[in-house]
Amino acid sequence: MAGTGYHCPRCGAELRGDPRKGGSRPGGTPGCPYEGLAYASLRAEHDAIYFGPWRRIDASPMEIRRGYHGIGRHLDAIARELAGHDLPGAARDLASAREAHEDADPRYDHPNALRLMDNALSYAHRAIDDLLHEKGLPPHRPMDFAEWYDVVEVPFRDEW
Amino acid sequence: MIDLNRYPREIVLRSGEKLVFRPMTRDDVDRLWTFFREVPPEDKMYFRQDVSRREVVQRWADTLDYGLVLPILALEGDRVVGDATLHRQRTGWMQRVGVVRVQIAPDYRHKGLGTAMVRELRHLGEKSALRHLMAEVIQEQAAAVRAFEKMGFVRAAEYRDFVNDQKGRLHNLIVLLYRMSSSDDAEY
Repeated sequence: MAGTGYHCPRCGAELRGDPRKGGSRPGGTPGCPYEGLAYASLRAEHDAIYFGPWRRIDASPMEIRRGYHGIGRHLDAIARELAGHDLPGAARDLASAREAHEDADPRYDHPNALRLMDNALSYAHRAIDDLLHEKGLPPHRPMDFAEWYDVVEVPFRDEW
Repeated sequence: MIDLNRYPREIVLRSGEKLVFRPMTRDDVDRLWTFFREVPPEDKMYFRQDVSRREVVQRWADTLDYGLVLPILALEGDRVVGDATLHRQRTGWMQRVGVVRVQIAPDYRHKGLGTAMVRELRHLGEKSALRHLMAEVIQEQAAAVRAFEKMGFVRAAEYRDFVNDQKGRLHNLIVLLYRMSSSDDAEY
């Protein structure tokens, strides 16, 4: 439901969907859709960006800047997690994500800034999937959580 | 030397099915032979050897050398449902290039197993001082191409009418490369 903003009570990620879709706990507290999942905070953070307003066709410059900085914080969080693992492939994905993110800096008005931001998020997704694979778990699928977000359209979705 | 202590590893697919990844051993001949006999004829046409013959699989088992060919099997219980191999050379100009091949049982396709096996090979490649991984795929094997590209492999070359199947028809060969982390500090 558009405009019904609230935050995931577990991880603090901004969830815009109807809290009732995820069920509720005694006292009316909405349940966290990521609860019990490995790397729940990284997943929630990823999806909050993936379904964020910066990806709308009519995104404002402010929303794009917020999306850009959100990706930066997300990459920092992934880096902190990867620091405790010996996963060269994931580290390489993170490096590629940082490179794309740096090139997408909205201050420099890059003509492909949105595409580069999307690439950065895609590399970040792959790093999360590497972490999950090491635990023997299937990859993260943002669309499994789409009902929790105010999903209007997701550009470039076919390339994920 | 690749550390194989990570095996056996349990892998959960998107569907919730649980499989085990582990290296092939000499006791796997019949399991692997059964697996290859399940491969559809149209896929067998692309194999380099006639894997429907048990002696071919037996020869692989007899000459197992993980330093040259590391076959990782995906098992559902006692049944092989996936086979991914990392081929290396100890000497020569290709010693820093690992060649990867993946085969998935028909009823386990489109479940994410192929991607998981490519991810596993990528991890093994990163741990084995290789600079590049190379995959050769027939153009018609679109799902395999997608799985490799999803894991960061890029199309390096396409050879038109380059390889023939077992009926003699020609097919385009796509070569995909993945640059390992260690290739970043290469000196020339």
